[in-house]
Amino acid sequence: MDIFADLWMGLAVAVSPINILYLLVGAMVGMVVGVIPGFGPSAGLAILLPVTMGMDPTGAIMMLAAIYYGAMYGGTITSILLNTPGESATVASTFDGYPLAKKGRAGPALVMQAVASFAGGTIGVMLLTVLAPAFAQVARNFGPPEYFLLAMLGMITLLVMLGHNWKLGLISALIGFALGTVGVDLETGQSRYTFGSAELIGGIEFIPIAIGLFGLGELFYSFYEGAHKTGADRLIRYSEEKHFWPSLHDWVSTRFTMIRGSLLGFVVGVIPGAGATIASLMAYSLERSVSKRPENFGKGEMAGLVAPEAANNAASSGAMIPLLTLGIPGSGSTAVLLAAFLMWGLRPGPLFMEQNAPLAWGFIASMYLGNMALLVINIFAIPLFVQIIRIPYRILAPIVVVICTIGTFSVASSNIEMYLMFAAGVVGFFMRLYGYSPAALLLALVLGPMAEEALRQTLMISQGSATIFFERPGSNWIMVTTVVLLVVLPLLQRFGRTARADPASAGA
Amino acid sequence: MRIVFLALLLTASLLYSYYAYDTLSFLTTTGRLGPGFFPRIIGTLLVVLCLAALISDRRSAADEGDIGVAADAWSVAAMVLASIGYLVALRLVGGVVGTVIFLLVILSIFNRGRYFLNATLSVAVPACLYLLFVVTLNADMPEGLLPLPF
Repeated sequence: MDIFADLWMGLAVAVSPINILYLLVGAMVGMVVGVIPGFGPSAGLAILLPVTMGMDPTGAIMMLAAIYYGAMYGGTITSILLNTPGESATVASTFDGYPLAKKGRAGPALVMQAVASFAGGTIGVMLLTVLAPAFAQVARNFGPPEYFLLAMLGMITLLVMLGHNWKLGLISALIGFALGTVGVDLETGQSRYTFGSAELIGGIEFIPIAIGLFGLGELFYSFYEGAHKTGADRLIRYSEEKHFWPSLHDWVSTRFTMIRGSLLGFVVGVIPGAGATIASLMAYSLERSVSKRPENFGKGEMAGLVAPEAANNAASSGAMIPLLTLGIPGSGSTAVLLAAFLMWGLRPGPLFMEQNAPLAWGFIASMYLGNMALLVINIFAIPLFVQIIRIPYRILAPIVVVICTIGTFSVASSNIEMYLMFAAGVVGFFMRLYGYSPAALLLALVLGPMAEEALRQTLMISQGSATIFFERPGSNWIMVTTVVLLVVLPLLQRFGRTARADPASAGA
Repeated sequence: MRIVFLALLLTASLLYSYYAYDTLSFLTTTGRLGPGFFPRIIGTLLVVLCLAALISDRRSAADEGDIGVAADAWSVAAMVLASIGYLVALRLVGGVVGTVIFLLVILSIFNRGRYFLNATLSVAVPACLYLLFVVTLNADMPEGLLPLPF
């Protein structure tokens, strides 16, 4: 019953007019970020983080979270109408979304993806509501050894998910760890890698690096791929179709698909490093394997669109569990969200929901409202987003460069941070180009200082003995979980890869 | 270019490691882990991994032939150079005027022939940003060395 009381309290916080306004702005911005190909939620969050500086923390966090899950909704519009995923988590939606649109069923596809996203998002938040307090309860007994192991778990799972690119991913993570060591060592007071600069004493700030890697880096990479030379000529004109609304058969045939996709997506989303992309690909594979008409997948099967949509939205809710209850982000996007929490002086972890109950429950309650708002926006504002898709990238890109630069400066009025952001942008471009992982770098930059502090405290407690990791039940559980994930994750990845490969062969 | 990027990473890793081994102590005087403990581990791993990647890259480059530079690399180069110019302009003439100049230049490169649209965007975008950051959020925009009103 406590959960309902807490949720009710959160709802009271979330429904204040100003918070509703922030939520709607976040949802709209998330949709816009989603529909722009080459721009994921990480980039959108990083770029817009400075804009939240003057806001109340509750409203700001609600808005940023709405951008995160709103991008999942928006990314599918281009998947269906343009065969170009707005972001990586909507790749699986192109497999059947675009064929449906080509068959003259773009309208029903757009409505069904909005409903599936709503179902996935809402089921995900319901599970988050129930499970987050339980996770926090378990994590209450965690000390420095467990936090060190959790940070390592987050990094290891991300590296495992990089597959054959794990070596370059590890180099990326080590660069992030290295950047995290800059500044004054809190235990001894000795400066590290500051070279006499007063601006570096506090360490390298996370925000300019995030904006540079995900904002500028992605933008340069999109230019490299020629995004500024292509238009939206292939855009399917859904408004000329006879039937906009889905048929009864569409609803009936996908009712269990939504539930399956949502549950699978949520579980995958909770695993640090796995994320919405893997969740959507796995849901697609699962749906095809249980379907009575697997041969129709890749040719315009509604279940092939609904499953990944439900999964990627549920995964974005699932990713909030390790973030809120353990303070461990599982992806680049949630790392930026963690940075937002830290920017407001809030430290997510086992006691977060208890010590910041109005904010934490207001945030969870806002996700219910945000999903409702996104359902309505998604169905009735499609013409608006189609217009946004038509804006050429060559016009959009310079404006994004300006927002990244001025936004970075506005956080601390620092020219150094602006230059740092630009350098991170150039490095981020080369990292994308040569197969490195900007997400691993960012995650390591967040987790590195935490892991170092936790390890030093652990060894202080144990007087230098590493056996402490084997003496505590919490540590043992985390180590067992890590080993299990090391075995299971490559299998999940292989399952998702077959989904990616098969529609291509079907279409060939 | 891939090998050049790796070589630069290796150089940075070597410098990072040199500093860690030369300046930062592994243990404190009381025998606890010192400020150099983490940096030494990170630096050593970085050097080893960069060397391994460099060797395997050189082998694959020899097998596959030269790794070419795509045609659109020039667009990226133009964008990067314009962005550097933007940073210089911000330092000299400040946020508003610097943004107007940057947008005029970059849009005339990538959005040729649309003079009216380019000019409108070049003025409207900095005006909106000024309203958002300075007026609404009470944040700062970069100030230039030249004394301009914005």
